[in-house]
Amino acid sequence: MAQMKKLAALFILLITALSSGCTNKPNRYQAEFISLFDTVTVIVGYSESREDFTLLAEKIKNKLEEYHMLYDIYNEYEGINNIKTINDNAGTAPVQVDGKIIDLLEFALEQYEATGGAVNVAMGSVLSIWHDYRTRGINSPANAHLPPPELLREAARHTDIYDIKIDKELSTVYLNDPDMRLDVGAVAKGYAVEQTALWLERQGVTNLLLSVGGNVRAIGGKLDGEYPNMPWVISIRNPDKSAPDSDLMSVLIADGSLVSSGGYERYYTVDGARYHHIINPDTLMPSDYYEAVSVICPGSGMADALSTAIFNMPPKKSMNYIESIPNTEAIFIFKDGSIEYTSGFESLIYSNQ
Amino acid sequence: MKLAKKNDIIIIAVVALIASGLAAWFLIKNAGAEKGAYAEIYYKSRLVERIHLTSAGEREFSVEEVPDVVFKIYDDGSIGFIKSDCPDKVCINSGRLSKKGHFAACLPNEIYVKIVAEESTGADIIIG
Repeated sequence: MAQMKKLAALFILLITALSSGCTNKPNRYQAEFISLFDTVTVIVGYSESREDFTLLAEKIKNKLEEYHMLYDIYNEYEGINNIKTINDNAGTAPVQVDGKIIDLLEFALEQYEATGGAVNVAMGSVLSIWHDYRTRGINSPANAHLPPPELLREAARHTDIYDIKIDKELSTVYLNDPDMRLDVGAVAKGYAVEQTALWLERQGVTNLLLSVGGNVRAIGGKLDGEYPNMPWVISIRNPDKSAPDSDLMSVLIADGSLVSSGGYERYYTVDGARYHHIINPDTLMPSDYYEAVSVICPGSGMADALSTAIFNMPPKKSMNYIESIPNTEAIFIFKDGSIEYTSGFESLIYSNQ
Repeated sequence: MKLAKKNDIIIIAVVALIASGLAAWFLIKNAGAEKGAYAEIYYKSRLVERIHLTSAGEREFSVEEVPDVVFKIYDDGSIGFIKSDCPDKVCINSGRLSKKGHFAACLPNEIYVKIVAEESTGADIIIG
């Protein structure tokens, strides 16, 4: 009898602990916007009230917008020197820029060297040719063409990343080749997300999920999960959009990043074959080893650069490369639908499909 | 000491019971989740259309504000962009959306569609 009472007391304690945990929890909110980085941004977080969360979301948007304007290669903004300004002054003059641009370019140079050139921000001349042919091909499918190889090869002569001359003291960037153009598309979003997340952490934010076009960065875990501070559940959509299962799998991430690269959304079709937007620096053609890859590692900048880099590497090389980096995992989705992942990836899987 | 040990086992059993109860509850919630799925269509951050997908039936439509963008609802309760005057067609290539958390956008047209539901499917974010 006495034992039963004890049990009953314990049970009640557990229940109240669970339910009081629920009532004292701040509410969960989600914000989305499509105005930055040519993609969809999603913020998931917790606040006492909708007003508080709106303020937080606006702060995040403003911070991301700073990076968006600085890293833009297409548009000019009044009073700001950005990547486009650097490109417009290629071979002409050094451009004084915000330190955030110099930090990004130095990070990009590090990743270029670490990956043996598999991700190169100095490839703008080549990428812009593909961009033009893709846009025209989508606009007029009957007249879709591939860029002539000689045109690509000529452009590729102006992609030496060491022609980016940075003067940290004067905070200037100069492209020492008039035909060279920067395209930071493979690293800028992830880097901006990472810097924004670090800034939020400094502001005392402890539980938040930020995704800019699939560049996902988690601060802490979630507060409304199955257990306290449970990792966020990140579901990865099936790159094969005709597959019956719309989602491939979900993974658990706390204090980490996930970035995917694939050719399944941004592409055009020539003579029945798809040509996507991730261009291999060696072949100057769309990389065709994988349908998609995803990288999980602590920093979003790193995850973004690595996902592009391994997308451009043959399977064995990419696998070995990711295995050589601590706290970094990857999944490789091949064109036939088969999947491979690095040794530590399986432990992060929450559910298959 | 012996008694304490016995109690421990019971406590664990109770905890396990609660845990499995929770798991079952989550599964039930998930199983029913897609039934209440709605597609919300936003134009310039304003909600312009909310459609109960499972009862919508197969059809094609546009929202008044953006007649050049065409959506299709399929008979399995999914929705997708099928036509757009945008230059990159990423919206169409995003495929069919059916689960809570799926989203797609046509940025040049400032139009955004996401799937919402009263019940959660468990994922905090779905990326493609």
